[in-house]
Amino acid sequence: MQAMLALARGIDRATAFVGRSVIWLILLAILISAANAISRKLFDLSSNAFLELQWYLFGGAFMGAAAHVLQQNEHIRIDIFYASRSRRTQHWIDLFGHVVFLLPFASLMAWLLWPYLLQSWHSGQMSGSPGGLAIWPARAILFLGFVLLVAQALSEIVKKIAILRGLITDPHPHLSAQAAIDASALSDSALSDSAPQTRDQP
Amino acid sequence: MIELLAHNLAPIIFASLVLFLLLGYPVSFSLAANGLVFFAIGVWLAPWSNGQITLDWALLGNMPRQYWGILSSETLLAIPFFTFMGLILERSGMAEDLLDTIGQLFGPVRGGLAFAVILVGALLAATTGVVAASVIAMGLISLPIMLRHGYDRGIATGVIAASGTLAQIIPPSLVLIVLADQLGVSVGDMYKGALYPGLLLTGLYLGYVALVAVFQPHKVPALPHEARNLGGGVRSLVVVAALGAAIAVATHLLLLPRLDHSSGILGATVGALAVYLYALADRPLRLNLLSVLASRVIMVLMPPLALIFLVLGTIFIGLATPTEGGAMGAVGAMVLAAVKRRFSYDMMHSALTATTRLSAFVLFVLIGAKMFSQTFYGVNGHLWVEELLTAVPGGQYGFLLVINLVIFVLGFFIDFFEIAFILIPLITPAAAALGIDLVWLGVIIGVNLQTSFLTPPFGFALFYLRSVAARVPYLDKVTGQRMDGIRTSQIYRGAVPFICIQVLMIGVVIAAPGLVTHYQGAKVDPATVTIDMPALQPLAPLGGGPVLGTPTIIP
Repeated sequence: MQAMLALARGIDRATAFVGRSVIWLILLAILISAANAISRKLFDLSSNAFLELQWYLFGGAFMGAAAHVLQQNEHIRIDIFYASRSRRTQHWIDLFGHVVFLLPFASLMAWLLWPYLLQSWHSGQMSGSPGGLAIWPARAILFLGFVLLVAQALSEIVKKIAILRGLITDPHPHLSAQAAIDASALSDSALSDSAPQTRDQP
Repeated sequence: MIELLAHNLAPIIFASLVLFLLLGYPVSFSLAANGLVFFAIGVWLAPWSNGQITLDWALLGNMPRQYWGILSSETLLAIPFFTFMGLILERSGMAEDLLDTIGQLFGPVRGGLAFAVILVGALLAATTGVVAASVIAMGLISLPIMLRHGYDRGIATGVIAASGTLAQIIPPSLVLIVLADQLGVSVGDMYKGALYPGLLLTGLYLGYVALVAVFQPHKVPALPHEARNLGGGVRSLVVVAALGAAIAVATHLLLLPRLDHSSGILGATVGALAVYLYALADRPLRLNLLSVLASRVIMVLMPPLALIFLVLGTIFIGLATPTEGGAMGAVGAMVLAAVKRRFSYDMMHSALTATTRLSAFVLFVLIGAKMFSQTFYGVNGHLWVEELLTAVPGGQYGFLLVINLVIFVLGFFIDFFEIAFILIPLITPAAAALGIDLVWLGVIIGVNLQTSFLTPPFGFALFYLRSVAARVPYLDKVTGQRMDGIRTSQIYRGAVPFICIQVLMIGVVIAAPGLVTHYQGAKVDPATVTIDMPALQPLAPLGGGPVLGTPTIIP
């Protein structure tokens, strides 16, 4: 079990690193999109490569972050039933979901995406629009996103079993939507209170 | 038995989807797993179904192409752009400045603070598509002031929560982007279609507060004039605003012959710019014609108006696509925050993190929904839904009544993303079969989904307000009086009149499709168009050959 937990920690570190790095891709996509829009209008200068690059970057961000979001327990749930269960029941629901729902789906998709990626790599396929980019990097993003998700699912399963057996403490207890907002509002108002403000006048 | 199963697989899939989702495991993977499980069952049952089930293992090979479609969607790209813009604006202090100044302007009028909250809510809504920003700002700033001066607690909380949800219906809004993507219509059309309903809704809120001010004045008292620390001087503001409006109309009329569809926006821009430049020049040139209040109002209105022009103006004129508008708005918001000296690395980092997280879970709900619909279509479930919905008596109106009822009830319990990704693809074919304009349908559903932010117990606007409203008694910072905390039941009760207004608004959009369908532009009536086909010319001498003229269309 200790070896499994060490593996899970390694996976967590890797997905957290990817998940934290890809946020900059969003900023890059915003800057490219704005610059492209302006240069298109002002100088009649725009390229399909830049248009496509935007969604490559966005794809990299959300596919790269999905595993980290799972690790942080922040994929959205309908928690009418879930929120009212004991924490132990919630662990069992999560374990069941990881094993029966997530793992088969993510593995199957990764398995289907692999030949899809290989085919574009071998054929050197380019996008249909003139001046477009090579297709394989975007397919690689899809494939790698699902591979990360499979790895994270394995890590979550190991950690859930360890939690249920009392080997480790619960790293990310589930918060209901309201509790999560309360928590983030508290940290937000703590932030803005330090800024000089005159908010008490009518 | 097996044949019975095979023929009723679609309703069974739907029922078990509800169970899968209610379990509380993340929606995205529950959807996908439901699709996958029934895909396998469907392949097994296919031989017994008389061709009703068209599933086959080879069909799974479609999934990579489906995901490619999600990845390469220009529309979905607008989601992170507008989310990031909203998060930056939320931290830029623009909402605080607006509430403070507009509150002072309207305060001495009965119901004035409520009017200010609604107007600021609409203004913020036109710059951002995110609800949290405005509700939290208004809950922190306007709520304590309203309570201090004796506003009814239901009215105060209801007005704040409802004004915050305006962000979901007044463009640019995330709900409209997602709906446009799912309905397969252009985001620009959706924005044009939602504009008048959004403004009308703002008007209905204002009308409701006006009625309360007339018939139950004790609920929305006027503020004493001492509460206004910027002094009086409304007259100069009115004069300047009138002059600005005159310049705007004149510019509009001047440009009308040359640029018919964008002259209104450009005229308003020129008018606002003239007022702003004058306000800048007033002090340095020692003209001193503007009161302190007037110049403050003009100064705080400028940043949001500039952003509205940068985003909505460029989209409506056709200078930018909605996605580009979002990107330019995001850059504009960063510039604004920098000018206000609120921009920092930490702020950008936390906004980017939140944007990425939201994008990941929203896009994965969509990825799960694609797996689900692959199976659902494979068992001809869409035909089952279409038959169900087109069998509703009353044609278009019966259909709209049923789906609005369903969405309204679902909105009490689940998020608009799930409703949009699961339900909209199922009802779109039926709507198209009934000849319903899809943008019109989208705006109706948009108003309905906006309501889901207000309906207890899972309305997000109510959550946000709850998180910043005092739970326990507190001492008022100005008067030192002990104030009771806000009870959750008061917030819920306060939302009720506004939920009724929302339902009324859904009815209005259904009854008056013209509010939305003007997006199509001036229609060419086929009855008045004559196509003039030139007759064949008589045979010309050698070399000329018969000349076939091009047909000319005379409207």
